[in-house]
Amino acid sequence: MKVDIRELGQFNHLASQGAERAARSLSQLTGVAMDVEVTDVSLVTENVLAETFTGKSFVGVELGLEGGLEGETVLAFERERALMLQDLLLKATGSSDELAQSSVTELGNIMIGGFIDGWANHLGEAINMTPPKYTEAVGPRILPDQAIEAAKNHGVFLFESKLKAMDVDLDFSIYMLPEYRQFVELLSGNEGNQIPVNRLSAFEDLAKEGAGNAAGQIGMMTGLDTDVDVSRLRFVPLKGVPRQVGDDRYVGVVFELKGLPSGYLVVLFDEESAKTVASSMMPGDTSEEEIGTMTEGAIKELGNIMTSGFIDGWANVLGTSIEHTPPNFVHDMGSAIMSPVVGKLGTQQEYAFVIDSTIEIDGRQGRCDIYALPNERELARALSALPARG
Amino acid sequence: MKRFDTDDQPVDRRKIGIAEYAVVTDETVLITSGLGSCLGIVLYDPRNTVSGLIHVMLPTVDQARDSTPAKFVDTGIPLLVDEMEAAGADRDAMEARIVGGSEMIQFTSGGDSIGSRNIALAEQLLDEYGIEIVGSDIGGGHGRSIRFDPAAGALTIRTADEETRTI
Repeated sequence: MKVDIRELGQFNHLASQGAERAARSLSQLTGVAMDVEVTDVSLVTENVLAETFTGKSFVGVELGLEGGLEGETVLAFERERALMLQDLLLKATGSSDELAQSSVTELGNIMIGGFIDGWANHLGEAINMTPPKYTEAVGPRILPDQAIEAAKNHGVFLFESKLKAMDVDLDFSIYMLPEYRQFVELLSGNEGNQIPVNRLSAFEDLAKEGAGNAAGQIGMMTGLDTDVDVSRLRFVPLKGVPRQVGDDRYVGVVFELKGLPSGYLVVLFDEESAKTVASSMMPGDTSEEEIGTMTEGAIKELGNIMTSGFIDGWANVLGTSIEHTPPNFVHDMGSAIMSPVVGKLGTQQEYAFVIDSTIEIDGRQGRCDIYALPNERELARALSALPARG
Repeated sequence: MKRFDTDDQPVDRRKIGIAEYAVVTDETVLITSGLGSCLGIVLYDPRNTVSGLIHVMLPTVDQARDSTPAKFVDTGIPLLVDEMEAAGADRDAMEARIVGGSEMIQFTSGGDSIGSRNIALAEQLLDEYGIEIVGSDIGGGHGRSIRFDPAAGALTIRTADEETRTI
């Protein structure tokens, strides 16, 4: 089964538009101005689902889809956020607690309706929604059983649109998990760049290994405990990448990758983590008050080694050669750091496969994010050229 | 591309993402963040109180395979001017402010940086439209976030080290 990248882009676009409509409905119902942060789609395994959802307590509204697109959609709030939404709805409608719960369900119904609206047109076939179900769960159980089962077997496509209120502390996600077989068929085009779907997951495994290597390198250089928290291969509109990284200030390094695939690799530390890591790399009690030349030198050196470790397995598995440039040191808003990277890739593609790995350092004291953005067509070519395996 | 209608929701702040734009005829504050090599272009007609902001990413559309007009300087500026006029602005009364176009990263490939090409093309096109650039904060090697307040006719620029200036 092959996935046509253009079709995947098309579905991502439909989901983005759907999320905008859902956000507008919510704004109209509650008077709270909403902003859609980003919509991404990834093919996730059971492990990734566990990493993504574990330890959080959710309230959700679940609806099944039937017809032209089969699967499940879930509007999921972390518990505190759901309570906040209930308060907002109470204020807006002046109703009781019980009604607020049912209005969360009704709200989910309206929002998911908005989200799916437009998909039927694209597919040329009606999509029916089953009645909304109010759910509460801890961890991945907030997702429907079928989806978790599918993730165990062959992976499941997970669409996620993040919505955030502009003036109050309210954020949540709309998840869509289409039924695997039907969706893979919908994604199979006859032209354009195609990637065999099983190799996409093979590449995700490779990326996970790379993140493990990079985490190991940090451990070796600093003597601190490190652990890969989350690693995911996402398919996102390029313009959404800076927003996903956010406006916080980061210290890091940017590399160009040369070879097949070419692309970019960005390693970002929050300022505190950068200082911790840098001082751990120095002998004695050396540390800097502000981010200066010492931190810069340490982060560049570490970034270099991490990057080699990260992409090490790629060339072996893909049977190609990949090199990286010397590190470009950056210390700025995350979104601004990403802007020239997406600009460079943006001359050739509209969407990107982003490998996004988070490494925890020293327990939860520090963290490091690695973003790898391979050239989409070259990645497709390299993956397609692989000899078929079992 | 995302188009916002001015009457579609009762907010007084609007966040504009990359390759997006907004035009307003009231005092809604227009915000965009994370301008690195990207360029934020604000057009303002104080006579008719029409304000517009676009966050463009690349100079010209022929470089890319998609055609989201708000993503490029060469299609984004005409789009913003048209939308401003449709909202009641007068081209002769428009003034421009441009921010961003920095060189965050020294890439080994490809001549001039995206940032400097974005700036050069924006200056050229605004000149062709006869729209004066009344303020700018461009180039350098750092990122910027901006907010335009139509009530004051002022554009505030913030950098990562929390420094702000207004043009």
